[in-house]
Amino acid sequence: MTNCEIIRESIGSWLDGELSPGESDSVRAHVAGCGACDEVRRQLEKLQMVLKDELAGEAARIEFMPFWREVQQRINQKRPWHQELRDWCRDFFTAPRIAWSVPAVIALVLALFSLDSYVPGWRFGGARNNFAAVDSIDAYGRSVALLRENESKTTVIWLYQDQEGENEAAEDATKSGPAF
Amino acid sequence: MKLPKMRRSLVLLSSLLLVSFAGWCGAAEKSPQSVQVTIRSILAANKSDEFDPKLKGMEQQLKSLKYRSYRSLKDESKTVPWQGTQSFEIPGGRTLTVSPQEFQDNRIALKVRLTEHDKPIVDTTVKIANKGNFILGGPPHEGGALVLSISATAP
Repeated sequence: MTNCEIIRESIGSWLDGELSPGESDSVRAHVAGCGACDEVRRQLEKLQMVLKDELAGEAARIEFMPFWREVQQRINQKRPWHQELRDWCRDFFTAPRIAWSVPAVIALVLALFSLDSYVPGWRFGGARNNFAAVDSIDAYGRSVALLRENESKTTVIWLYQDQEGENEAAEDATKSGPAF
Repeated sequence: MKLPKMRRSLVLLSSLLLVSFAGWCGAAEKSPQSVQVTIRSILAANKSDEFDPKLKGMEQQLKSLKYRSYRSLKDESKTVPWQGTQSFEIPGGRTLTVSPQEFQDNRIALKVRLTEHDKPIVDTTVKIANKGNFILGGPPHEGGALVLSISATAP
């Protein structure tokens, strides 16, 4: 977009007094030095004048009292809660508040992911996966049982002392082993 | 409706700061300096129905072993650097040597070796969840079986 196109888009707002003082000064300075943009300004001002005259003439013929009565009635009328909630939601979720929800959602997601560090055992409301993964095991000739207990998410490595030459008493104690 | 430039910049800046903070936290999680290793020695037996109140937090885990009684014999915690080694004295003249290998996806890989009077009983490499544990059991002790709960925490 050229500078003139940008300025022309702002001329209407400038004439309506909707621009900030800085932006107004910028538009004013440009229009003063640019014949084409000044022509756009003159046409817009002329259009505004025509519309104002036309509307003022029409307004004199309009009966406003019934309109104001209706407005008054609507102001005094108590709205149902669901309508108020709907309006509140609409106001809340439209810009500019929606823009703040972006960092707010990021913060919430970060908090959820880091909650496990502060509250051990918590993970999105479910039990934490405490299962251990056994990469390798060497029991030097003994028998080994590997148990994964679902309820407590526990991994158990159980050694059986069934090698020759082991202490008999010890063997008795462990031969039966745990009844997994 | 357009956001004023100042507010838009502020929102963008906040998002950027949050994302950077998350990245920093993630990086911090990946590089802990050392691991806190805790070994809990427990005697599991069938001579009585005693359950040591000190083991209350592990009740559900121990009940899967189906012994009748559980008694805490010893608790020991040590800080072990990555790739370093620490030895824990275990009842019955045994020694447990633990060496943390790596930290990935919030899981700690531990190399564990149990010896009895310098004779190796078991060598294993296990990956456990950070702040989690696993159980190594079976060696006979005082008419029952020795149960070791091996847990690790990377701060």
